[in-house]
Amino acid sequence: MTLPLRIKAPLIFFPALLLSWECAVWLAGAAKIMPYPSGVALAAIRDIADGTLIDAIAGSLRRVITGFAVAALLGVPLGLLMGLVEPVRRALDPIVDSLRAIAPIAWIPLALLWLGIRGNAALFIVAYAAFFPFVLNTIQAVRLIDRKLVDAARALGASPLLVLRAVVVPGAVPTVMTGARIAMAFAWGSIIAAEMAIGIKVNPGGAATVGLGQLMVSTLYVKRDINGLVLYMLSIGLVSLAIDHGVRAFQRKATPWQR
Amino acid sequence: MATLTTPKIEARSVSKIYVSARTGDKVEALRGVSFSMKPGEFVSIVGPSGCGKSTLLSLIAGFATPSAGEVLFDGKPIDGPDPARGVMFQDYALFPWRTVRGNVEFGPMARGVDKTRRAAIVARNIEMVGLAGFEDRYPHELSGGMRQRCALARLLANEPDMWLMDEPLAAVDLQTRVILQDELLRLWGDAGDPAQRRAVLFVTHGIDEAVYLSDRVIVLGRRPGQVKEIVDIDLPRPRIGARTAPRAAALIDHIWNLIRAEAAQAIVEEP
Amino acid sequence: MRVMRPIARLAEFALALGILVILWHLLSVRVANATLLPSPLAVALAWVELLRTDLPADIAASLVHLGVGYGAGAALGLALAILCARSAVADAIVDPAMELLRPIGAIAWIPIAIVFFGIGRGVPMFLIFYASAFPIFVNTLAGVREVDRNLIAAARMLGASPRLVVTHVVLPAAMPLVLAGARLSLGVAWAAMVAAELTGADAGLGWRIFWYQEFFAMDKVMAVILTIGVFGYLLDLALRRLQAALTRWSADTRAEAA
Repeated sequence: MTLPLRIKAPLIFFPALLLSWECAVWLAGAAKIMPYPSGVALAAIRDIADGTLIDAIAGSLRRVITGFAVAALLGVPLGLLMGLVEPVRRALDPIVDSLRAIAPIAWIPLALLWLGIRGNAALFIVAYAAFFPFVLNTIQAVRLIDRKLVDAARALGASPLLVLRAVVVPGAVPTVMTGARIAMAFAWGSIIAAEMAIGIKVNPGGAATVGLGQLMVSTLYVKRDINGLVLYMLSIGLVSLAIDHGVRAFQRKATPWQR
Repeated sequence: MATLTTPKIEARSVSKIYVSARTGDKVEALRGVSFSMKPGEFVSIVGPSGCGKSTLLSLIAGFATPSAGEVLFDGKPIDGPDPARGVMFQDYALFPWRTVRGNVEFGPMARGVDKTRRAAIVARNIEMVGLAGFEDRYPHELSGGMRQRCALARLLANEPDMWLMDEPLAAVDLQTRVILQDELLRLWGDAGDPAQRRAVLFVTHGIDEAVYLSDRVIVLGRRPGQVKEIVDIDLPRPRIGARTAPRAAALIDHIWNLIRAEAAQAIVEEP
Repeated sequence: MRVMRPIARLAEFALALGILVILWHLLSVRVANATLLPSPLAVALAWVELLRTDLPADIAASLVHLGVGYGAGAALGLALAILCARSAVADAIVDPAMELLRPIGAIAWIPIAIVFFGIGRGVPMFLIFYASAFPIFVNTLAGVREVDRNLIAAARMLGASPRLVVTHVVLPAAMPLVLAGARLSLGVAWAAMVAAELTGADAGLGWRIFWYQEFFAMDKVMAVILTIGVFGYLLDLALRRLQAALTRWSADTRAEAA
């Protein structure tokens, strides 16, 4: 049987890699300081069985979704304003650019101070991270609208309101959706960072593991379970893949006219 | 009050100067252009690149206003777009998020036609351009020729008094273009009663196309755009099937000779 | 006219900034709590003081993290992309491996990095390295793959050797995407750096934020945050300039620079 190279090569390479990794760790007697595949698998079974992993993911996702919604509610109108009114855009552009250059996580001390450790500080970081993709893509969306389509609608007798509703809005949707996808990815990345920073600085004991980030910190400093850390890392990757697939599927549904 | 003798379109010494928003530079696109069109007349505008053909069309469509002079439609000055003057754009400007049906329906919807009458108008016009069966396709799922037909159906669905067409056949291949030219003539009423025809203003690069389709051809010169000559196309109608009349060849030569020097110049100057 | 424009633009920016600062000031007067919300003046004074004391060392530390991590990450991304473009076997292994790793953001590596490198400068360097490799890899590979076959054929027809085709056709054609990738990389690397310094390092701007927070010196915290913003902005500006300078021929870049 001949499989194409693109399937055959990974099919040989990756199992071989995992197997030799497993063997190397055991032969070197390094199972205490190195993660290894079977250990990660066992950690997965353990954490899924007792609900730890699912609870932590659900906790993080809840705040991601809330922060994402807040970012959309603030970012899209601002983007519309900046996209439609040229002087506003020129005035706010450098401010938006420099605020965007501040890594969201840098706000964590102030967010903690203003909003407390019970989750709202992390929410602020998420909303901050997701805000800019919404603003920038909405500006872009408005500016990219084909002038000719506006003319065409007017020539067919459309009122300004109809032009806005039937041309500007649908014309902007795909670009705003792309912004939403980026925003979602940013939000997920920064919830983990925020939860970890909060966990490390405020609550390293990990009594209240309300999210994946805190779970990682308590696993690192209290349980010292390195296989668990790898498991959570892989879970972060899996969730972000799932999120991206979800947003893409929604995007295809919402804009069926796109190629 | 429009009567039989009122021209459909009358342009009186129309000039258009554009000012670049970024640099402040001024570009004179049209200077002192005058002509008139009778109801039901098929008039083409030809000229080298940069002669202001499309500018003239957008003034008549109402997307822009003249810097000097005026354009009258049925004897009244044009202020803004009007569904009575349907426009067909160079790359069709179909709404990508609307299906064929949605695009054709847009005009009647914008004018507030009720749903049942709208459906009938849409069905009739889609049928007329030969797109029946493709109602639910999005523009990106159509071939170039089909997009062109869809744009035509959208234009016709508003039953405009006149058709303004900006190089509507420029984006399709040569064979499709020949077929669509005949179809355009058929829809306009090449073989029918002249009183039933709509006025058409047709901007094109193709001199042979202009001669084949039109009653008159306005030849524009460039930088700034101005009328060089208005050529009467004294070929008999119906013309469908009679593409290669010797008289047509003579007219094509005549027009080409009017613009060849400037067309050559335009190649060097265009950015 | 042409001279007036930048000045007018600057004036608009100054006005917007002024309004922002005034609003901030009014809010801080209303809050009347220098810890909760330091006034803009306090932050400015703190900044001036920090510039004379701690800040230069922190900036230098962060730039070293960034230089080492970003340099290594960009080099790896570029090398892997070229390897994938040249070898089908490498492509079949590296491409899925990168696709598997990519969704695991750099942040997720922080605990593991702390286990292996300990709290210190290894953590931010590793995170920056990891974060910056992906965008460059993805964009370079796309850039090399999307080179117009006709351009390569034309160069061959004109007698170019395979080597000349790579240096004079493939690389320049891929350049806009490579540079776009480099800019994306820098953005994510900058964010990863701050997160890593906050959680797993003992030097750098991110670390300094929590240092001052321990003393509740919020004016200084804010001054450091602003420094992070300013440097992030300047780095992006520098890459944008580089992008515009290296790809003058590309209509896209010109449109974006304008």
